[in-house]
Amino acid sequence: MITVNGLRKRFGATTALDGMTFTVDPGRVTGFVGPNGAGKSTTMRVILGLDAADAGTALVEGRPYRALRHPLRHVGSLLDASALQPGRTARNHLLWLAHSQGLGARRVDEVLERSGLQGVARRRAGGFSLGMRQRLGIAAALLGDPPALMLDEPFNGMDPEGIIWMRGFLRGLAAEGRAVLVSSHLMGELEDTADHVVVAGRGRVIADASVAQLLAAASGDRVTLRSHSAEASAVLAEAGATVTRAGDGVLSVAGLAAGDVVAALHRRGVAFSEVSAHRASLEDAYLELTRDAVEYRWESAS
Amino acid sequence: MTAYLRALAAEWTKFRTMRGWVAAVMIAAALIVGLGLLPGLQGSCGKHGPGSECVAPVGPGGEEVTDSLTFVHQALTGDGSVTVRLTGLTGELPGEPGKPRSGLVPWAKAGLIVRGATTQGATYAAVMMTGSHGVRLQYDFVHDVAGRPGGVSADAPRWLRLTRSGDTLTAAESTDGTAWTTVGSARLSGLPATVEAGLFVTSPQHTEEVDVGLGSGAMGGPSHATGVFDRLALAGGWQGDAWKTDVIGAQVEHGGGAGGPGGAPDAPVAGGSVGPAAGRVSGAEREGDTFRLTGSGDLAPSIPGAAGVGVTITSTLVGTFAGLIVVVVLGAVFVTAEYRRGLIRTTFAAAPHRVRLLAAKATVVGGVTFVAGLVAAAVVVSLGQDVLRDNGVYLHPASTATEVRVVVGTAALLAVAAVLALAFGTVLRLGVTAITTAVVVIVMPYVLAMTVLPTAAGQWLLRVSPAAAFALQQASPAYPQVANIYTPANGYFPLAPWAGLAVLAAWAAVAFAAAAVVLRKRDA
Amino acid sequence: MIDIVRAEWTKLRTSPGTLALLVGVIVATVGVSAAASACSGTGCDADLPKLGLTGVQLGQAVVAILGVLVIGHEYGTGMVRVTLTAMPRRLHVLAAKAAVLAAVVAVAAVPAVAGAVAVSQLMLPDHNVVLRPAVGSVLYLVLVALLALGTATAFRSAAAAIGTILAVLYALPIVLAVVTDEEWRDRLRRMGPSTAGLAVQATTADAVTGPWKGLGVLALWALGALLVGAVLLHRRDA
Repeated sequence: MITVNGLRKRFGATTALDGMTFTVDPGRVTGFVGPNGAGKSTTMRVILGLDAADAGTALVEGRPYRALRHPLRHVGSLLDASALQPGRTARNHLLWLAHSQGLGARRVDEVLERSGLQGVARRRAGGFSLGMRQRLGIAAALLGDPPALMLDEPFNGMDPEGIIWMRGFLRGLAAEGRAVLVSSHLMGELEDTADHVVVAGRGRVIADASVAQLLAAASGDRVTLRSHSAEASAVLAEAGATVTRAGDGVLSVAGLAAGDVVAALHRRGVAFSEVSAHRASLEDAYLELTRDAVEYRWESAS
Repeated sequence: MTAYLRALAAEWTKFRTMRGWVAAVMIAAALIVGLGLLPGLQGSCGKHGPGSECVAPVGPGGEEVTDSLTFVHQALTGDGSVTVRLTGLTGELPGEPGKPRSGLVPWAKAGLIVRGATTQGATYAAVMMTGSHGVRLQYDFVHDVAGRPGGVSADAPRWLRLTRSGDTLTAAESTDGTAWTTVGSARLSGLPATVEAGLFVTSPQHTEEVDVGLGSGAMGGPSHATGVFDRLALAGGWQGDAWKTDVIGAQVEHGGGAGGPGGAPDAPVAGGSVGPAAGRVSGAEREGDTFRLTGSGDLAPSIPGAAGVGVTITSTLVGTFAGLIVVVVLGAVFVTAEYRRGLIRTTFAAAPHRVRLLAAKATVVGGVTFVAGLVAAAVVVSLGQDVLRDNGVYLHPASTATEVRVVVGTAALLAVAAVLALAFGTVLRLGVTAITTAVVVIVMPYVLAMTVLPTAAGQWLLRVSPAAAFALQQASPAYPQVANIYTPANGYFPLAPWAGLAVLAAWAAVAFAAAAVVLRKRDA
Repeated sequence: MIDIVRAEWTKLRTSPGTLALLVGVIVATVGVSAAASACSGTGCDADLPKLGLTGVQLGQAVVAILGVLVIGHEYGTGMVRVTLTAMPRRLHVLAAKAAVLAAVVAVAAVPAVAGAVAVSQLMLPDHNVVLRPAVGSVLYLVLVALLALGTATAFRSAAAAIGTILAVLYALPIVLAVVTDEEWRDRLRRMGPSTAGLAVQATTADAVTGPWKGLGVLALWALGALLVGAVLLHRRDA
């Protein structure tokens, strides 16, 4: 469990963190999203004791990170997969990390296997593709078998196959009861992965809610309709829908299901072509949140 | 060509948009200027009121000279000759204060001289026996013609003859007084009709290299020589006056603490100098036909260094080494930085012709360091001279041509060294290794030659290593007929200036070729 | 702390350049000493034990590379953040790096100096083996490595650090050679890390500073660099 409370940090004239507050609970994947520059990486660096916050606290299991004797046994992290010395082999990179946590070579072989790197363990890490480096970073994060994990943009540079692997992997970690924090600047990447989402903007939390809540709150279902008839708007409004013109002969209809739209138009004999139902996605909810830049938050369900 | 210019423009943009790199160039220039202007050197010229200024006599060629000797002479008008037999030449070296040792410095001189005047710096020609360089004809301070080798003693005397015919002086010598050998002749333009001619003895500063703890240094002091002459014979337009004795440039007998030229040299030496010889005193005695002259000093160009006085403009460029290290770092990092973050792949993608790219990088880093070095060297050479003079240090004036060569040479040294470091960086790819290699190859030979290694080994290093290019900073020529410690520590290098640069350029060219080959063969 | 030392040792041991650099220390020291011992002519016989240890002048450059790379390369690659994430007690990390580095350099410096002494003994048989310059040279190399580590920690850039170290080690003696003012020269020689530190090699009378006192000056430099590095490492964001 990771608790972030009222973090503030300035770099010169820029405010990086402006009261960032949230918690990462065990047993679920928490997505940490926001546009570039929202303060996601800085928050993670403060949690890991790399940067010092001007105000506020970041605690891992109730203790500041820098007070942990073997921190990788409490929280595993991956910030920058390329941050390794290229001349060292993957196995030796993990070996020194293991030694720093009082762990042995056996644990290194275990995490190599779990991240699917056993075949390349004795190759120089400098020759790895970005995807392989991500796996090596994951292996390092798992080294101490920590109850919490923190990954910064783990999907970056991964091929589709890798992304699928990563999603399953993260869900598996949460299923084991670990607290998992995953940052991304694309909400879509987290769609089928995260159970809970913290949306950040301008150094603070804009939204902190479960995925279900977010979807429900996003403006409901819409129907897109093609019709050149002038009556269409009036007919649908009469039927109780909100209609907006979305282009030449294209209408966007809210408040009526697709079937009801077709029935209403049919009853009045209005000609139309192409009706498509459109379900709100997490991406839509996120875009709406960050576009409005209005600060509001849901009461956390948990 | 346009492709090269495009690459050049790209590299220039890359360079000037990196704050650290621009700062490094500034720092290099600041170090060169700053260290040169620090008040490290102190002297006594002009520090003890009027009269203590250091003014050196100027020879006929306009160069500064040492002109001090014991001279027994009379006037000669028009053509004529003088012949003498030398039966002894002995000397005395400085030792513990008050306890001189006997010994003769290699360039102790005794013989015949014809001078335009008795004032210091007057035109002259002389035939002489030297301590260990045989018979010589020397004239107007910088010219030296070798005669036959050998020494002189009562058992093996030497006859010397000097003949004037118009502006031409001819020197001859003989071991028996009958069979004469011509040593050579000298044309002295502007020789007056009436000249002062006769016997002279002088004995230059004694110097020896000593090891003083961390650095090798030199010690020494004035030496004296005594020549015994007889069978003096004159022919031609002699005025028939009595022989007059003059000790030209006589300050030496007072202990030589003035720190300035004009008299016998005063040694600005490492490790402390030994006091003047207390035994013999300059002068002349006559017993019948035998003349016994004791002299101290030299007839030679005035030079900086252990055996001479003062310093040259080279001393203002002490900061070159510090600046060089910064420039070497810059040259290496200019390419290794690209390897570190994989930028090199982007660079190669944008400019696939890798050797052309390397050439563009070399042009940028060489050009920038050349300009910075040129400005810094010009500033420090001109301002540094005033600082040194204000500190009371005697500074040998350099001709404009020499100043320009030193300044441009310093800039060239920095620029070529930067390109060499760039080549090392390309081959080694890791900045730290490349920087250290470049510094070790360029700067360390110089350090070793100056501080630790014995002279011979040091000279060898400065011939073959890139440090040879420091010869560009030598401001004062070495004269074989002046005994001095011609070491880098004293501002003398074994190679000629441009030959030194050629050695560095050859290193850079080989390294650059290796870099080009490696770059072409290697995956990015 | 044991875990941190062990991790740093594993790191240094598995870094591909380490072995090459340690061999480089030995080759450079012995090689240059052999070349210097081959000398003949004036000045050669001034201080034979010191002449036989000339190679330390080159060996120190290689040692400085090693010292700089121990932390400088981590900054260059960004791995320092992995290190500090795994070992958030930063001062312990620096102390562990210093301990491991000192041990490794000492292990290489002993054969390097012993080899230099042996070679010069073979080539210049008429000089006595003196223990103090040899032992002092080993300590000198260790201290140069620590000076390099401290500087690189403070600078966070391997290139800037090695440039500074080499300037201090090599440019200062050159400046000294040109300074003729006795007082300034003595002052600078007593303060310069390489000039003072190498006084430990001198067996002839050297009035500037005593051998162990000179090495002490270098130790102060190394300590100072490590302290500045430690303070900055502790206070700065990684």
